[in-house]
Order: sequence, then structure tokens, then C-alpha cells
Amino acid sequence: MALKRRNLIISVFALAATAALLLWRPTVLIYGLQAAGLYAAIAIPMGLVLGIVHIVNLAHGEFMMLASYATYFTCKALGMDPLIAIVPTAIVTAIFGWIIFQLTIRRALKAPELNQLILTFGIAIVFSQAINLVFTSQTYKMPLDYVSASMDIGELTFGIWSFVFVAAAILFAGGLNFFLKRTTTGKAALAVGQNPKGAAIVGIDVYRTYGLVFALAIALVGAMGALFLTKSAIFPTVGSPFTMKSFCLVAMAGVGNIPGILSASVLLGLTENFLRAFRGSREWADIVFFVLIIVVIMSRSLKGRKS
Amino acid sequence: MLKIRGLECGYGRMRVLEGVSLDVGKESVGLFGPNGAGKTTLIGAVMGMNKLWAGEIEFAGRQIGGTDTHLMARMGVALVPQERELFPGMSVEDNLVLGAAYIPHAKGIIPEQMEKVFALFPILKERRKQLAGTMSGGQQRMVAIARALMSNPKLLILDEPSLGLQPSIVAEVFEVLRELKKTVSIMVTEQNVRESLKSIDRGYVLENGKIVIEDSAEGLRTNPYVLKSYLGI
Ligand SMILES: Nc1ncnc2c1ncn2[C@@H]1O[C@H](COP(=O)(O)OP(=O)(O)O)[C@@H](O)[C@H]1O
Ligand SMILES: [Mg+2]
Repeated sequence: MALKRRNLIISVFALAATAALLLWRPTVLIYGLQAAGLYAAIAIPMGLVLGIVHIVNLAHGEFMMLASYATYFTCKALGMDPLIAIVPTAIVTAIFGWIIFQLTIRRALKAPELNQLILTFGIAIVFSQAINLVFTSQTYKMPLDYVSASMDIGELTFGIWSFVFVAAAILFAGGLNFFLKRTTTGKAALAVGQNPKGAAIVGIDVYRTYGLVFALAIALVGAMGALFLTKSAIFPTVGSPFTMKSFCLVAMAGVGNIPGILSASVLLGLTENFLRAFRGSREWADIVFFVLIIVVIMSRSLKGRKS
Repeated sequence: MLKIRGLECGYGRMRVLEGVSLDVGKESVGLFGPNGAGKTTLIGAVMGMNKLWAGEIEFAGRQIGGTDTHLMARMGVALVPQERELFPGMSVEDNLVLGAAYIPHAKGIIPEQMEKVFALFPILKERRKQLAGTMSGGQQRMVAIARALMSNPKLLILDEPSLGLQPSIVAEVFEVLRELKKTVSIMVTEQNVRESLKSIDRGYVLENGKIVIEDSAEGLRTNPYVLKSYLGI
């Protein structure tokens, strides 16, 4: 019930902001939604892991970064388009994620939360530093013409490629919703998230489920790594802001609330682009975002203490 | 069916069970004892939730000491835990489906099993779309029992099934147990000795980590110690 009300409030805000922007500055709306798609598509798998495995994966964005590097060098070597590499990348990163889970995170599931945070944070550092050692801090970018595709409506011109991120976010949210609510394996995963002891009692292999869910999340973030490469330059720490933002979005939405991640992402994307339109300053946008996060989380914990 | 020999078990340094031996055949067996006697600990040891310190547990002719919980469930042991352990954010129906979906001998007969448990607990059929977490304590207990039965178990273990229930529902639960013992082996722990003696064949009294009395239901009902300590006469 509480989740539903929160979703409603966030959605109403997002809708109101959207309507206002549409009239006032359509490009802010368009680029805001595109950014929202990117944030949501990356945050949703983190929310999945938090909701079911109950781990905050601070290496989340770094998994994406690794996937981007892997895609870049494979595509370079084979003269391939990153779009073709999306599915293979997802499969390879899923296997990689599963191995990392079995070797490290699985052993920390019963440890105190702080230890788990330190572990995943350590993994993040190992990933980005390993890439830094091998490939240096140089940036890499795929030269692709289709990413500069644009569209004119009246006197308005805007880039449309980044709408693929919106499509990815909708696909992830819809697909996961279907998986968790309609398939037996998905229901079992949901059951493990809600009550691991109860799940074991009915014959579900809890640790195997954790591993599969983690691998699935890393597969999605791996697919995003390939997609991200079409649009952006990559460098060793390119993933870490996404870890931060994903974590904030998931915290804002509340555990296990995928629709909430979508609306929180819209809020974030619009706010950022709105502020950029005003000030032309990126730093400002980040500050406001984190202030917003702090307000939301504080108001929530105050409410939690009251009840 | 279930055979426990010299079971020792505990938490940290504290020993809770000090060499317990117990059998459950094709029958209904009660396990009584005051709060903190170790009844839940014993069940946890059978279900692979607690490590055995010493002793042996055999189920259906196989040594099972230390087997993982989900494998015990798949072998045919269904547990109705003291704390129910439902999936609160899922519908009653999904809770029931999951009771059978991962059990090799039950996953093919989910609709039939569902009809069976709905016949035992008609209220659950009415409420099958309701989220389990929004139901009353008594109804949640019924969901937990129904979920366990979905797996078509060989052995059904119930940990204090009447705890916190209003009397009318307690009577209903024990009525169901009387019905069930015709087809499945049952081990049930209870504080409500008077009511449960009517639905068991044999019983054990566990005190301070040891079995102090073992007798038929009739024998327990007339045992002076049981009368004084558990039936309040
Ligand atoms: N998880 C646990 N950690 C430590 N001690 C426990 C735990 N569970 C139970 N105990 C202790 O073990 C003893 C037996 O508990 P339990 O098996 O729950 O008894 P019963 O089910 O007969 O009431 C009690 O003293 C209890 O405090
Ligand atoms: Mg108990």
C-alpha cells in the first residue's frame, strides 16, 4: 500500500513537470526523458538485485563499464556494430557476473551490511583500476553515424538516437514484471526475495536463485554497456556515476519497486536537464539531484521513525 | 519414516538438545514441552536449518543429517513453521502454487492438489487472490498448512500450529490434522496439549533438551506428570 502511494506521488509530480515543460521548453522534456531512460535501464537491474538478493551492488556501474570495454574491443577487432553485440555481451557478462557472485558475494550474504558494501565497493575499485592499468585512462569511442540522427518538429530539432535508452528501460521493466509475476521461476525468485526461509521450505534452492538473479541483472547491465557504447565515450571510471545514480534511484523508489524506479528516473532526468537549460552548468544539476535524494530519504526515515 | 538417534544440537556454545531419540512411523506423533525446551530446534535439525552436533537422522531409509532445507522439502518433508514464513506480498494462490512447484512428485499435479487443500480450507478458495500478508493470523496459519500440503508430503511437520489462534480456528486446525493423519505421517509440536492429544497416536515430552516421557496418546492423557504439568489437573 505504502509503495503504491509513493508511486502515485512520484508519478503525479513527474507528470505535472512533464506537462509544464512541454509547453515551456520541449527540448528539456525530450532530453530529460532520454536521460531518464538511460538512468532507469541501468538502475532497474540494481533494484532487482537489491530486492531479491538484498545486496547493494556498488560495482553495478563498473560491470557496465567492463561490458562496454569488452564490446568496444570485440567490435573493433571484428569490425562489428555494437548493436549486434548486445545479446552476446549480455550472455558473456551474465556468466562473468555469476562467477563473481559465486566467488565473492555469495560468501558475504550472511555478513553484516557494512561488510557487504565494502566488498562490492572493493570489486568496483578492482574493476576500474584493472581497466586503468591495461587500457590507461584514455577514452574510447565508437564512430557511428546513426547516433546523430535527428528529427524536426516545426522549428524544433532534436537528436532521437537516445530514445533507444527509453525503449530499453521500458523493455526491462515490462520484461521483469512479466518474469516475476507470470513465470514459475520468476515467482520463485520473488518468493526468495520476500522470505528466503519460506522459499527453502518449499524446495526452492535459495542460493542458486540468488546467483541466477544476480547473473540476470548483470546480463541486463551488460546489454546496457553495449548500448551505452554507441552513444558515449568510455574510460575506466565511466561506470561509477551510474552506480551512484542507480543507488539513489533505487533508494528513492524503495526496495522491490520497479515502476517507482521508472518514475524516479523521469524526475531525475527532467530535473537535470531543466537545470542545465537554466544555468548551463552540469555541476549544478548534480548538486540539486543529490539534495533531492537527501530530502526524499530523510523524509522517509523520519516517517519510518514515527510509525 | 523418520528416525532420530542421539541428536545433539544448539546455538553458539549453548547446547539445546542433549541426545534426543525419536521415531515417527506411519502415524501422528506429538512433541510436547515448555517454551524453550528445544522443539523448534529439533525440527530445525531435521529440516537442515540447524547443524547437528552429534547423532543421526534418517528419513525414508536415508541418512539425512545436514541435508539442505530445499532438498528435504523435495524428498517429501513439508514444514509448517511456527512463524508461518509465507510470501507476504504474493497472493494466496501463488503461495500455494509455490508449495508444489519445486517438488518433483507434486509439480505435475498442482490443480488437483489445489482442489484438495481448498476442500480442507474453503475460506482460502474465496480469498485466493488476496495477498497473504494482509490476512489474519489464523488465515495465514491455514495458508501455511495448505502450502505444506500442496507438496503432497510423506511427512508433515507442524510447529505449534495453534499458537495465537482463536479457539474456533484451533478446533478447525486439529480437525484437519485428524483428517490428514489417515494419509500422511505427522509430527506436531504443541503447547495446547489437551486439544492435540485428540489428534495424535503417540507423543513425547521434551524437557531441558531430553525426552522425559514417551507414550501413547491414551497413556499420556492418564500420566500423572502430564496431568499435573501440562493439563493443569
Ligand atoms: N537462533 C537462535 N539462536 C540462539 N538461541 C536460540 C535460537 N533459537 C532458539 N534458541 C534458544 O534455544 C532454546 C530452545 O529454543 P526452541 O527450540 O525455540 O524451543 P521451543 O520451540 O521448544 O520453544 C531456547 O533457550 C532458545 O532461547
Ligand atoms: Mg518453538
